[in-house]
Parts: sequence; C-alpha cells; structure tokens
Amino acid sequence: MSQNLPPDVALKVDDLSIVYRTDRGEVKATANVSFALRSGEAMALIGESGSGKTTISLALIRKLPKNALITSGQILYQRNQEVQDVLKLNSRQLREFRWNECAMVFQGAQNAFNPVLKIRKQFEDTAQSHGWRDKAAVRERALSLLQLVRLDPERVYDAYPHELSGGMKQRALLALGVLLSPQVVILDEPTTALDILTQRAIIDVLNDMRRQLDFSIIFISHDLSLAAEMADHVATVYAGEIVELGGVNDVFYQSLHPYTQGLLTSVPTLEHTQDLLQSIPGSPPNLITPPVGCKFHPRCAFADDVCMEDSPPLAVDVGGHLAACWHKDRLIESRKARV
Amino acid sequence: MTDFQLLDAGQDALEQALSPKRKLVPAPVENFYKNYYVRVFAQAILTIWAVLTVTFFLVRQMPGNPIDVLIEQILTQEGISYQEAYDRVAASFNFDPDATLFDQYLDYIRDLLHLDLGTSITSPGTRIIDEIARFLPWTLFAVGSGFLISFVLGVILGMTMAYYRDSALDHAMSLVSSFFTGVPNYIWGLLIIIGPGISWNWFDVGAARGTYDPGLTPGLNAAFIGSAIEHALLPIITYVLATLGSWMLSMKSSTTSVLNDDYVNVAEARGLKDRRIITAYVGRNAMLPLFAQLSISIGFVLGSGVVIEEIFVYWGFGHYLFQAITVRDYTSVQGAVLILSSTFVFSNLFADLTYGLLDPRVRVTGEK
Repeated sequence: MSQNLPPDVALKVDDLSIVYRTDRGEVKATANVSFALRSGEAMALIGESGSGKTTISLALIRKLPKNALITSGQILYQRNQEVQDVLKLNSRQLREFRWNECAMVFQGAQNAFNPVLKIRKQFEDTAQSHGWRDKAAVRERALSLLQLVRLDPERVYDAYPHELSGGMKQRALLALGVLLSPQVVILDEPTTALDILTQRAIIDVLNDMRRQLDFSIIFISHDLSLAAEMADHVATVYAGEIVELGGVNDVFYQSLHPYTQGLLTSVPTLEHTQDLLQSIPGSPPNLITPPVGCKFHPRCAFADDVCMEDSPPLAVDVGGHLAACWHKDRLIESRKARV
Repeated sequence: MTDFQLLDAGQDALEQALSPKRKLVPAPVENFYKNYYVRVFAQAILTIWAVLTVTFFLVRQMPGNPIDVLIEQILTQEGISYQEAYDRVAASFNFDPDATLFDQYLDYIRDLLHLDLGTSITSPGTRIIDEIARFLPWTLFAVGSGFLISFVLGVILGMTMAYYRDSALDHAMSLVSSFFTGVPNYIWGLLIIIGPGISWNWFDVGAARGTYDPGLTPGLNAAFIGSAIEHALLPIITYVLATLGSWMLSMKSSTTSVLNDDYVNVAEARGLKDRRIITAYVGRNAMLPLFAQLSISIGFVLGSGVVIEEIFVYWGFGHYLFQAITVRDYTSVQGAVLILSSTFVFSNLFADLTYGLLDPRVRVTGEK
C-alpha cells in the first residue's frame, strides 16, 4: 500500500469518527480522534464511563457493534515497514489481523473463555486458526507464557475455565493475548472487577510481560493510578474526543485541560489531604445532541463566550503535549496559585 | 476434680454423644450409597417399581374383566357348571383368579424379579417378552429416526434463525415453527392421510399399513429394508413435523443468548475461523439446554406412538399396547408399561450421566 508512516509507528489513527444508530438518533460516540502509537510504547486512554474509550479500541480491531458506523477516518497499522489500512481489510485479512497483529483483552475476563473447552483447547484453537498447527510448539509457548503471568502452567493449561479464579482467568487471558506475538495489545479495564491484591498482581505481570516481550499497549482505564504507573503516553477522552494527549508526566503534573485536571483532583493521593478532593460538577453530555463549541464548557470553571461558540483544536504545545482548550494559560495560572 | 474439669468432662461426653461421627449405618453401606452412580441407579429402580405397582392395581380397576367375560362365554356355549368353566379358565390362564389382589401382586413381583414378564391373559401360552421383542424394534426404528431427524434439523434451523434474527427469514421460520409446535401429532397424522393420502392420492393409504409388505422375508435384503423404510416413512414424517418446531424455537433462543456471551465475542476477536466458532463455541454451548430436554422428549415420543401407530396402522409397540388395553389383557399392559417406564427413566438417567461429557461444569468428580 502507498501510505508511508514513520518507521517506529505501529498504529496511527486519523480523524476517526464513529456514530451509533439508535432509535433516539445518532450517538456521536467518537469524533475526529487522531493519535499514533509507537512500537513498544504504552498508551492509556482515560476518561469517564461512556466517554468513548471502548468504542475507539473496538474500532481498532473492527469489532464494533452492528449499529455502529464509521463516518470518517482511517486506521493505519505498520509492521516490518508494511502498512495496512485496517478499515479496508477484507474479512479474511481481518481475521488474520486480529490477534496476530492486534489482540484485545476484554473488560471482565470472567466469561472470556468458552466454558466447555479446556484452556489448552482454546490456546490451540487460537494458534490453529492462524495457521500454527504444531500442538507441541503451541504447548511449549503457552506454558512459558503462563509461567510468565505467574500461573502454575501445567495445571492451568489442562484446566477448565470454571476451575480458575477471576484473577487467574484474567492472567490466562493475558497469556493468550500474547500467544501469537502481536505487536499491539489492547487492554480494556484490565484490573476492573478484581480485588486490590489481584489488581497489584496483574500490574506486576503486565510490567514483566512488557520487559520480556516486545509489544505496544493501548489500555483503557478510569483508574488514573494504573495509567500513571503503566503508561508512557496518556490520552484523555471526553465526550468522544481526545481533549488532551501527551507524555504521562506532562499530562499528570502539567495538565493543560480542565477536564484532565478535574479527573486528577477527584482522586485522593498519598501526599494531599482529603479536603483538596473535588469532583467535576455536572455529568457527561448527551452525545446525540452534544453541546456546541467546546463540549466540556457546561462543566468547566474557565468557560467563557469563546468556549460556547468554537470548538478548540487539539493544538500542539511544548514537547508534543496537546490539549484542546482555549484557556490553557488560565489553567496553568490557577494551578500555580493553588500550590 | 475442679469444677472446671467437671464441666469439661461433661462437655466432652455431650459432644461425643452428638458427634456426627457416630454412625447408625455401617461405613461400607453408607459409602456405597454415597456413590453417585449407585444412588441414581437405585432411584431409577425405585421409580420403575412405583410405576409398575400403580399400573398393576389401576389396570384391574378398568371396567371390563377378561376372565369374567371368558367364563360367561364358556358357560353359555357349552352349558357346563360355573365351577367347571371357572376351573377351565383358571387352568388355561395359568393363574389363580381366586387369589387376593395382593397375592397376585406378590406373584407378579416375584416373577418379575426372575425376569419373567409372564404370559398373555387373552391368548394363553404367548410369552409377553416375545411379543415385545416382536413389536418394539419397529417403534424404536420409526421413533428413533424421526427423533434424530427432527433434532438435527431443529438444531440447524434454530441456529440459522438465531444468526439471522430479526430478518424476514427469521420471522417466517418463527411463524412456521410456532405453527408446527401448536398442531398436535395426531392431527398431523390425520392431515397426512387426508391430504396427500386420500385427496391428492400421492400414495396408497391401504398399502401403507403394517411394517413391511406381505410376502417379504425379514432380513438384510434390499427389498425388505426398502419396504420397512417405506412403511415407517409416514410415522417418521409425523414425528418430525410434530417435534421439529419446538426444537427450532428452543435452539433459536439458546443460540441467541450464547451469541451475546463474552466468549463468542472474544473468539471472534481471536480471529478464529467461523466454522470453529459456530460449532465449538456457539453450537456446543447452545445445545446444552436442549440435551436436557432430549431425554424427557424420548419418553413422550415413545408414548405418543400409541396414537400415531393406530392412525397409520403401523404394527409397533404403541399398537401392541393399545390392543392390550382394548382387550384388558392385564399382563400384557403391565409388560408394555414396564418397557415404557424403563425407557423413560433410563433415558433420563443416561442423559444425567452423559451431560457431564458435554458440560464440564457439572461433571461429577470422584473426590471432593
């Protein structure tokens, strides 16, 4: 294909817009989303429930619900200098693309495994469907991956899903996710619905995996501490748009968007006392008829007439830190004043 | 002893007395009964015994008594004394009509424990086991094929409906299958005879009677097998039509729910081949609830043979049972009911025992 990408970019999303057709009208779930993921990098999509994080990630493997419609944009995927346009893959190419190139570990791994097949069978199914028929080799690779995610490989490999606990299933799914050495792994809320100790174990496992295997991660979370710990880059998603994008330290310590700032001040930290916690007033907008101008303006303390009329662009700032806000300066001022 | 020691000792004694470790039943017996297979088998036998007992007393409550009828006949025809006629009938029936009902019952159970189903009352000397062996295979053949065809078709069509749910195809098939489910099997039988059989003359209704054409020797020859299939065709079609709809609807609803399950979604994201997803991920899980229904339906279909076989004059097991009831042949009815209830109970048992092969979650493990 003719598109050219910088050699270190694994995935590039351009101007992606997705609507859901419903009885009440079109829900604009994702609007003009653009970002790039470098190989080996971990990127976090953070935002409230319903902000469109999952929609973006489902679009990456074309696993959107039937009523979804991609109205604009393209998704380019590159491996070994070969570029594929994900939205133009035919069904056979798409099937091969899935899991081989881009694997997705879904939210709630509790039911991710077929209850009537052994874990072994499900690893073999995955390998076989992608043309890998040597069961002994699959077994060897699977056992080493199960070891990597700190499970008892022999026992888990020959177990049925119901014989594993929630945390074990989540880790087994992570191992299955990297079975075919994909370049990109999408993790949708990898630690939600797990108890705090299991969450810790999953994070440690993920860090181990990243050290030992070479893959990029896109993970979706509303857990900011997880994002801070794992991500190289962070994208804040609000009402279907990326409103801030930058390095993890930039976004968390020098946020340029009031929404990100609001998310950060609504989470307790070890250093600050409880009374500094603030919630963001209001609730996420209706995406059938989103607000005109900046979509965050009805909830924003800095909003003025400009915000109600014009939508701010995702303008480049220092060192590739982007934010879609008209009043970055005032935000920075106010932060200085508080400290 | 201090007070405390006394208290302790008393408590120990109390605990020992109440301890669940004290067994009323010796350990081997208890362990034997704890064995899952032993337990379900014992329950099956108990169920069959209960059915047989109820049947034994019920058939004797039916109006009309074959013995009195026969004694009456001999009396009027031969003009002998009542006692003579009575003795003759008693001798030829090989049973003592004077014995109390309860004694007869004990006799029956004793014979049964020796695997002896007895002889027919109305045609003395005919062993019931031979009669059943003569009639049952035909029914097993007809019901079995009808059942299998209906199940396989229902599963395939039901899955198709679920995959194309809310399309015109789904709506049309739902309508048809609801209609099929609503019409009872005897109506289907009559419709087949009246429509294609008599009005349109597609086949000769008279020639379709029986289980194979007269003059053929039963055996592994083409003419006989062809004829047997031909004669079974109408009952088979009736069984299929009467049960297909419910299989389709059940399969559709269970497939629809499985299609919404996470693991199907994940299987697609894993890039599995469609055929693999349809069979091992969707099909196998969607069939689990149907498998439980299957065993129950086997019993019902066998029972419905009584009506269907009468309609088509197909000489199978249902025909045999019907004839036995008509002439109040108590022992034959008992024999037939024994077979019927055993089939029902054991097919359920079989389903219970094999369900674990399909669904590992309910598998009974040796330990734990």
